[in-house]
Amino acid sequence: MDELTNISQITYQLFGYDLVFNVETIMMTLIVMGLLLVFSFFATRKIYIIPHSVQVVAELLVNLFWDLTKDTLDEEMAKKYFPLIFSVFLFVVCSNWLGIIPKLGEPTKDLNTPLGLGLLGFVIAHYSGIKAKGIGGYLKEYCEPIFFMVPLNIIGELAKVVSISFRLYGNIMGGAIIILVVSNLVYSFVLPPVLVMFFGLFVGSIQAFVFTMLTLVYISLQVK
Amino acid sequence: MEIGGADFIRGLALLGAGLAMGLGAIGPGVGEGFAAGKACEAIGRKPEEAGLLTRTMLVGQAVSESTGIYALVIALLLLYVV
Amino acid sequence: MFETIDYVQASLFFGAGVSMGFGAVGAGLGEGYAAGMANEALSSRPEKSGEVIKNMLVGQAIAESAAIFALVIAMLLLFSDTSGQPLLKAWAFLGAGLAMGLSAIGSGVGAGLPAGNACIGIVRQPASSNKILTTMLIGSAVCQTPAIFGMVIAFLLLFLDLSAIPLHPGWAAVLGAGLSTGLSAIGPATGEGFATMEAVSGVARHHETNSATNRMMLVGLGVTESTAVYGFLISLMLLFYGFEESHTLTASMRLLGAGVCMGFGGIGPGLGEGLTAASALRWIARKPEDTGTLSKTMLVGMAVAESTGIYALIIALLLIVVI
Repeated sequence: MDELTNISQITYQLFGYDLVFNVETIMMTLIVMGLLLVFSFFATRKIYIIPHSVQVVAELLVNLFWDLTKDTLDEEMAKKYFPLIFSVFLFVVCSNWLGIIPKLGEPTKDLNTPLGLGLLGFVIAHYSGIKAKGIGGYLKEYCEPIFFMVPLNIIGELAKVVSISFRLYGNIMGGAIIILVVSNLVYSFVLPPVLVMFFGLFVGSIQAFVFTMLTLVYISLQVK
Repeated sequence: MEIGGADFIRGLALLGAGLAMGLGAIGPGVGEGFAAGKACEAIGRKPEEAGLLTRTMLVGQAVSESTGIYALVIALLLLYVV
Repeated sequence: MFETIDYVQASLFFGAGVSMGFGAVGAGLGEGYAAGMANEALSSRPEKSGEVIKNMLVGQAIAESAAIFALVIAMLLLFSDTSGQPLLKAWAFLGAGLAMGLSAIGSGVGAGLPAGNACIGIVRQPASSNKILTTMLIGSAVCQTPAIFGMVIAFLLLFLDLSAIPLHPGWAAVLGAGLSTGLSAIGPATGEGFATMEAVSGVARHHETNSATNRMMLVGLGVTESTAVYGFLISLMLLFYGFEESHTLTASMRLLGAGVCMGFGGIGPGLGEGLTAASALRWIARKPEDTGTLSKTMLVGMAVAESTGIYALIIALLLIVVI
């Protein structure tokens, strides 16, 4: 059970403050980045009109998300935000699937990763909102429908960030905890791989899709 | 049984964490299930709209989950921070 | 203040009362629904009274079985030998009563709902009464499994030699085990009842598609059962995971918190997944060629609805193992 509470960290001193790095999470994130770069390289190396091999997968995913984005935002807005949405999805789904490989863990298991991604979506959404509506219009939105709602609206915005980050963290970390505890209790060849398949592949894909969809919806709420 | 002050606080904090997550899981469970059920009905009526209907279901379920996640946050805070 | 044996006997009788008291609720509700629907069916076709009453009685008998489990546990508690039992047994008897009583609530309701719809269906399509009866029996039997989990935990608590478990924090472990299985069985059993109810209506309306409906019903019921299984798992962990003796309140409360957390956390997702399966089955019976899309959406929706049940499982596991 020590695997849950031992987090290997490196601490640096900077201007009297402690900078703490979680080594495992950073290594796993670099591995995910490497995998995604390799995948993109092979998908776009020689572009055929009738796609071969890796290009098929890439075109499938791109089409799926392009339709989603176009339905939610207008055509030109969709072109602007589509790379962000698709990158977020690829990163999250690849991170969630990394747990299947033995000896590797998901970077989304550390609360910092989902919280970082959630804050990324939050800042981009609000920045786009300010740019689209001007600072006056943006601030007036908080006073809808009555002036007394301002604190509740602010809390609602913060709650959105908390909810999408903790949903992703809870599902992935929870899967890891359950697999760990069940493997310690039951000596079996069949049960842990079945659990890993369910929690890693199935739940990981669904949660990645939900995270991306919600980021897209929050951006569209601010921009429209 | 001698119960000291800090021990009493920690003990009730742990019980509170259990109650928070336990009771907090009731509502979102029923609501998300109902949403999924109605989505299945809608897809039964119009299978060609399956993509749009599934997407709407997932977004609706994600928002319904919010209070369950607040309960999870409070439970984790009570377990690890208090 | 009192002798140990006084406490043991007091909780024995209290547990018997709790077991039968809660256990009577579900069966009463379910059987009443079946009887009411039988009358509504008979009002449109009185000449079918033989078939309808036979179906009603069969369905009511299945709904009664959960309450009979509770009666058995109550009798065992009443006539149990209490000489020389340690004080921990007092808490064990209370936990046993709670486990059996609470888990019988859901199973009673869950088995009575399909019986009612079966009566209506038979009156509508007398030719397919065999298929309707088969679907009703299969579904109701699966609805009884959460009550069986409760009975297993009650037997373990009654007859297991608990002398190896220290009193503190063993009392919280034992009580938490009872609450975990008992409470978490309510939701899934009721949800499975809803699903079976719709499956029976679907078979009544479209009897030629009954094999597809039965198959998808079993899939849906299996997934809905999962939160009851989580509750059972946490109960077993609380009983058999070795806890050291500790007189601090923290050690006791964390075990009780784990039991309460998984107990309550199993109710909502069980009910919700049952509702999902019910709606999906209503349309699968109507259009079996859409089974692929419908079952995919049903499973995805169920998996997302399960999320809060999984959060409750996580918190319970953290409380038992990590803290």
